Amino acid sequence: MTQLLIFNMVNGLIIGAFYAMMALGLSLILNLSGVINFAHGGFLAIGGYIAYTLIPFLGFWGALVAAPILTAFIGILIERVLIRRLYGRDPLYSLLLTFGLAFMIEDGTRFIWGAQSLPYQIPDWLAAPLSNELFFLTGYRVFMMVLVTAVVLALFLILGRTRLGLRIRAGTLDLETVSVLGVNVRVLRNLNFGLGIYLAGLAGVLAVGMLGLQPNIGDSLIMPSFISIIVGGLGSLPGTLLGGLLIGVASGVTTVFFPSASEAVIYVIMAVVLIVRPRGLLGEEGRF
Amino acid sequence: MSLLKVENVSRQFGSLIAVNGVSMTVEAGELRAVIGPNGAGKTTFFNLISGFLTPSSGKIIFDGQDITHLLPARRVWRGIARTFQITEVFPELSVRENLRIAVEVASGYRLRAWLSSTANGEVKARVVDLLEMGGLAPKADRLVGELSHGDQRATEIMMSVALNPRLLLLDEPTAGMGDQETYDVTQLIRKLHKDQKLAIVLIEHDMRVVFHLADKIMVLAEGAPLAEGTPKEIAANEAVQNAYLGKAA
Amino acid sequence: MLKLDKRSADALVWLALLTAPYWLPLIGGYTELGSRILILALAATALNFLLGFTGVLSFGHAAYFGLGAYGAAMTIKYLYPSTPLAILVGVVTGTVAAAVIGPMIARLRGVYFAMCTIAFGQVFYFIAFQWNTVTGGDDGLTAWHRMPIDLGFTSIDILNDNKAFYYLVFTMFAVAAGVMAWLLRSPFGRTLLAIRENERRARFLGIPVDRHIWMSWVISCCFASLAGSLYALLNDFVDPRALRWDQSGTFVIMTVLGGMRSFWGPLIGAAIFIELQDFLSSHTENWESFIGLFFVLVVLFFPRGVLGLIKRKSTS
Repeated sequence: MTQLLIFNMVNGLIIGAFYAMMALGLSLILNLSGVINFAHGGFLAIGGYIAYTLIPFLGFWGALVAAPILTAFIGILIERVLIRRLYGRDPLYSLLLTFGLAFMIEDGTRFIWGAQSLPYQIPDWLAAPLSNELFFLTGYRVFMMVLVTAVVLALFLILGRTRLGLRIRAGTLDLETVSVLGVNVRVLRNLNFGLGIYLAGLAGVLAVGMLGLQPNIGDSLIMPSFISIIVGGLGSLPGTLLGGLLIGVASGVTTVFFPSASEAVIYVIMAVVLIVRPRGLLGEEGRF
Repeated sequence: MSLLKVENVSRQFGSLIAVNGVSMTVEAGELRAVIGPNGAGKTTFFNLISGFLTPSSGKIIFDGQDITHLLPARRVWRGIARTFQITEVFPELSVRENLRIAVEVASGYRLRAWLSSTANGEVKARVVDLLEMGGLAPKADRLVGELSHGDQRATEIMMSVALNPRLLLLDEPTAGMGDQETYDVTQLIRKLHKDQKLAIVLIEHDMRVVFHLADKIMVLAEGAPLAEGTPKEIAANEAVQNAYLGKAA
Repeated sequence: MLKLDKRSADALVWLALLTAPYWLPLIGGYTELGSRILILALAATALNFLLGFTGVLSFGHAAYFGLGAYGAAMTIKYLYPSTPLAILVGVVTGTVAAAVIGPMIARLRGVYFAMCTIAFGQVFYFIAFQWNTVTGGDDGLTAWHRMPIDLGFTSIDILNDNKAFYYLVFTMFAVAAGVMAWLLRSPFGRTLLAIRENERRARFLGIPVDRHIWMSWVISCCFASLAGSLYALLNDFVDPRALRWDQSGTFVIMTVLGGMRSFWGPLIGAAIFIELQDFLSSHTENWESFIGLFFVLVVLFFPRGVLGLIKRKSTS
């Protein structure tokens, strides 16, 4: 029993870290530009598909490095051409735009790569379990956990220690002042968007190794991202991280006792947070 | 019993003390001005009285009742109305519609799905009254967002009057206005004060307006009260002069 | 451009709707299409009550639409084969859900509110999907159909007679639209406009904003669930797609396309969108991409919608 619980908690932590990484990307974009990127799941799928396409040329590791970067470029392009035009307006319009993009991406990936599941090869030594006792921990899961932790740490380091990070953080608080201080806000938003999409793309590459590759792979992952942000608190990146981990672990633990409710529990947590503390666990007051 | 009694209120934002131990008593029918250099905490002070913010310490007593923590909408029901530094009206509705909404809410009709023709008639009559009072009759059916700054301000003031307040708070009513508009708004405020017998507290930077209207003036500097008195007394007050002009070398 | 005053325009619209089964075939349409457009127009109009008139950004209306649909379908299948009962249960289900969820989100605004409406929408999608013993899961709820309405002295065969069903839909639409229009013209309705125009000023006039938003929300979701019930009856079928985020997005785009600030905007938007969707899906497998593209184009180039454009032209 305890072994099962630990298994699921560890699993939940891994999934939660994964949700968190995706949610962090979404949160970055939301905080600085006020845009709910509904196409985030679509970018995740693009990341996976690009990786799949690159594997014959670059191998597993090459694809892992290159695919998120390429996805980020696509994101930067889309921001530049489409999303940028809607910044001054009612958030309704940017949400509709990203809705439309989500449709186009999902259908587009289906068009280019077909609707069936595609096999995604991960190196054998990663797929193997660590040991007989820890049969539930494949090398891949550990690898994922390590990579996600590294990336999230890198993200917080970028935000905390670099000039770009400082500008993003300042822009989140007061974009007008930042622009008056001479920062090119357009470029800042663009790069920030790219950063967010990079995280989505990376999540995509990692996800397909675990879940397989289909056009709607983004669908199942976008909701937990939303909920991570709602639970963790709008405007707070640490909150988003916490939110993701929390719902991942909660989901994992629930699997032990009520397997069918494991997905439902994240919605329950959301409802509880909204009732008890609407701004989220680490959210700032007045953000909404 | 005084209409409004503000007892030693303070408001902090982190380590910034925006309002520091300010007290004020306003009697029914008085016209007070609150002045002070920029950043003196005047608008924050108003925000505390109108309920936009709650004080870190101190009490606010209106008509004998403690309203310190009361929500803004409820303070409106008790008789406190206010205008804002940046005019807050309903830009894509006409002047008439703006006033109509104010009158209907003030008459307790905010949840009504239907009004009898008598009630409707009363509302319409009251709107016409307010339009006349504010000099807005010729522009009644134009969208407020399209009007001049002065007319928008007049609309905002008349919307507040529509609420039948006993205390009207005006935050820099003539901000950003030219001479003619300033004159018009000042006349309006004076007329309201006389005819409606309202207690009015206004924040102003334009000294002509202040000295023209106010019975009593309170000066704030850096969140704390600096002086209080009649216009004559304040004009002669050295500390006030220093606060505005800086200490003479 | 033919100038119509509001009363004449309204009368014309009602006349057109009343006689639709007769003129639709003349332009290549058919009665069932008319029913479909009217039902989705009802949902969009209900959404617009909240979005265009109260200024609240709701993106999860499919939840209440879908609850209405499932409520109606499950009533006929499991409870009692009666159309009026089905509609009633559908409406009650959606409305109660909205009333309960409302307070959780009525304090929120803007994008945050929108996110939460989407999330709550997914809750119900997820339930419909998972609870497949009751709801039929991904395959949907089948093996039931709308029942003729038994009025005692006669029976209205809405099952086989498309015209009869259309007039049932029309009646429901007329009642719902009538109530919404009436409310919007009442003092209460004006408080909603006030909230849309300037929430701060509304608050400082003494309007309890959160509470009024909640009321607008419940009214809006109530009529959305009515539309949902009718939708289930139209198709003799319901599946989780009625609850999905793309259905919510569709309602919003219909509203924007037709014109958010006009009462008839959603109706026009629904008509155009459904025609477009039908056209695209019969010509290409990738119609979803084109729909997505359509969303993008409307947002970038046509945000005021059809009626918004016409209004502008007539004032200039």
